[in-house]
Order: sequence, then structure tokens, then C-alpha cells
Amino acid sequence: MRSMQTLRVFTTCIVLVAATAAGQTPAREQLARGRAFWDQRLSKSAIAALEVAARDRATAAEAHELLGRIYIFKGWQQEATFPGWHDEPSYRARAIAELKAALAADPTRTSAQEALRMADAFAAADKVDPAPPRDEVKALDAKLESFRTAASAPVDDVVAAIDARAKAQADPAPYFTGAQILIDRGEHDRAIAIAERGVAVSDRFIDENLSAYQMSGKSEGSYARGRATAADLIGWARFLKNDYAGAAAKLDEAARLTEGQDFTNQFHLGELARAQNAPERAREHYLNALSLTGFSGGPPPLRQRATQALAALPRSGSEPSFDAWLEAELSRRREARKAAALKSLVDRPLPKLDVTTIDGRPYDTSSLRGKVLLLTFFASW
Amino acid sequence: MPHLKTAYTKYQNDPSVAFLLISIDEDAKRLQRYLDEMKFPFPVARAVAAQAEQAMGFDNIPATFYVDRSGIVRYQLGGIESHGDSPSRVSWFIDQLKSR
Repeated sequence: MRSMQTLRVFTTCIVLVAATAAGQTPAREQLARGRAFWDQRLSKSAIAALEVAARDRATAAEAHELLGRIYIFKGWQQEATFPGWHDEPSYRARAIAELKAALAADPTRTSAQEALRMADAFAAADKVDPAPPRDEVKALDAKLESFRTAASAPVDDVVAAIDARAKAQADPAPYFTGAQILIDRGEHDRAIAIAERGVAVSDRFIDENLSAYQMSGKSEGSYARGRATAADLIGWARFLKNDYAGAAAKLDEAARLTEGQDFTNQFHLGELARAQNAPERAREHYLNALSLTGFSGGPPPLRQRATQALAALPRSGSEPSFDAWLEAELSRRREARKAAALKSLVDRPLPKLDVTTIDGRPYDTSSLRGKVLLLTFFASW
Repeated sequence: MPHLKTAYTKYQNDPSVAFLLISIDEDAKRLQRYLDEMKFPFPVARAVAAQAEQAMGFDNIPATFYVDRSGIVRYQLGGIESHGDSPSRVSWFIDQLKSR
């Protein structure tokens, strides 16, 4: 009897603490908050709100079901939602547990039954396709994109389109697309304001979905990309306003974050240096830009502009032709970048690491001893 | 990863060289599907992601280590752009270590 009472007091305390942490709002409100956060793909906040709602009998079934659906998404379907995200198999058992909890709270809940059937089917399947892009987000993206060519549309409409897309899903893409559109229209101050908002939004979106990145290198890379994109947009808008000192600060920040390996940013730095009458510095940046190839190599029209700007700069040395000089400079830069990628464990003994066979038995590494060994860590995702 | 298969053809009959892939996949089914598709001609093992990252000090994949005959890591490559992932580059690293 006594222990029963203690238990009840203890439970009450937990519920109170949780309610306080979540702002002392009733369960129904937490459920609505959780749903709204999830619609925007703000996972951590959605889960926190729904966990509170799941403790109240009135909202338990609904909250458990939505948690189950979120975990289905995280476990099997989130791969293609945002760059750097991967499925998180650790959520799969939790998805099924939440859906069973939903049905325990309300055995007649057909939507939870459907979700559980889906989770069971996913668990049994060899392969689950990633979730397709969401129609409402796609439509709002298309609407925003349409302003790239609608030069006569009012600026307020562009900003409204940015806000509408940002409300539908809380990733930073609409801010960066929108800032670029505003720059192209000569709205530099508004572009700067939008890009600045994009920084905070980018950081938060990654925070909210941190576990989806699986590796710190991937999440760190994503933070850096968001900040660098914003810094470059702000720096370029300032350059176009003839604020060269302000432009330099932001373009340099973007260069640090991208380790000098973003084509557009290096091109912008080249343009700034040229405007500042610093041909040596301009040459370095144009060469850095052009030495990037493939996916990070920048669009052909910009590459052409960089090459033309470079050809027009005064050149030191006695190389026979511009083309030969350019080729030598570019390959020297590419080699230097490869060398810089060699790091950390070099010249140290191979560390001890528990390795198993594919089916989980200890892996016998004795046959590798005394051989030249290539070791590659990888994942299928 | 296909570049490793190409590079391996040069060393498959060379007893002084070994290739080992280590997967940090958590999802065994997905890994098996990938291996069925890739049909690697050299061994593939598994490690726990967090343990591997900590022991080997990488924070992104793929991460490649070239180890010499005495067990010392001599080259390490990681990251995206600069991965050095052409077959000729792989065999350059191996040939360097073979000649030591």
C-alpha cells in the first residue's frame, strides 16, 4: 500500500517535470504542436511534444501513432529527404513499439492498425524505397523558382513565396534560393536579410535531425555548407552594393567554411579582388575556382567567365601560351589538394579494432600480417 | 567502390598484397543486398561504426588506409572530393609500399 502511494507520487512528479519542460501546456496542445513540428520535419521538437502527449490518456493513442509514423520514416524512408540524411535502423523496433502502444491505448484505431501493418511489411521487406518528395513542398518550391524569370513580379510576392515554402518544411533551401532571386533583381538589402535568416534556419534544421546524418563528418559538413552558402550570398550582395570591405569579410568566411573548394565563392572572391585592383589575388581565386572539377566544378557559363577574366589579367612568367600556363597551374593545384587529404593515422601502427565477418563471427586477421594492406571503411548508404 | 575492383585485378595473384573492405552498416539486410550487387572479389568484414570511427579517427566515409608490411599506416585518404578514387591512384599507393 505504502509502496503503491510512493509510486503514484513518483509518477506524478515525472509528469509534472515533463509538463514544465514543455511549457505546461495541456496534452491536446502538445499533440498539435508535435504534429506541426513534424509537418516541418523538425524531428526532435516533434518527438518531445508527442512524448508528453502520449502520457495523457486522452491523447495517448494519437500521439503514439504519430511517434510510430515518425519512427517508420526515420527507420526506413528518410534517405532522400535532405542531403546527408540516411535511414536509422535503430528506430525500426521503436516504430513498431509505438504503434503497438497506440493500439493498446485504443484497439479500434484503424489508422494505427494500418501504420503497424506498414511497419511490419517494411521490417519483412528486402528493400524499402525512400519517401517520395512531398507534393505541397514541391509545389511551393516551383512557385518560388518561377520568380527567377518573373522579373516584373512585386518583391513582396517573392518574399511571401519564400515564407510560404519555409513554413511548409523548415529546411534552409527557400532562404538561399530566395536570396539569390532577390540579388538578381537588385534587391541587395532584402537578399542580405533573407540569407541571414537562412543561417539560423539551417543550423536548427540540422540540430533537429542530427541523428539522421549518422557520422559527425556529415553533420559538420552540412552545418558548414549552410553557413557558407549564406555567407557567400551576403558577401556577393555587399559586393554588388560596392561595399568591398563588408563583402571581403563574408566571402572570406565562406572560403574558410568551404576550405577554398566552392567554385562560386572562389569566383566571387576573384571578382572582388579584380574590382579592388589586386590582380595577383584575383588570379589565385580564379585558378582555385577552375581547378575544381566535376560536381563541384561550377556551371559552364561561370567557368567561361572565370577563364576570360583570367586571360585578361596581366601574367608573370614566360610560358608559351595562356592555355599551357593555365593547364600547368590547374594540375599543380589539384595535386596539392590531393596531398592535403592525406592525414592523421599516417606513420602510426594500425590500431586494434574488433572486426567480424558479415554474419557476425570474429574475423581472423592473421592472414593479413606481413602484407601490404588496403583497408577501406564504407557503408552501403 | 567499383574502382577498388578494377585496382584489385592487378594484385589478385600477388600474395604480398591484401585488400579488406570493412562495412560500418547497421542494417545487415541492406549490406547483404549491396554485396550481392557488387560481388567484391576480396574479403569484406564488418565493424561497429562508433568503434571504427574512434579507433581509426575518421569522421566520414569512405575512409581508406594503406598499411605497410610492418603494420604501419602510411597513407590515409578520406572525405569526398579528394578521395583519390581512381584505380591508378590506388595502385600507385600500393606500389609505393611494395617497393619499401
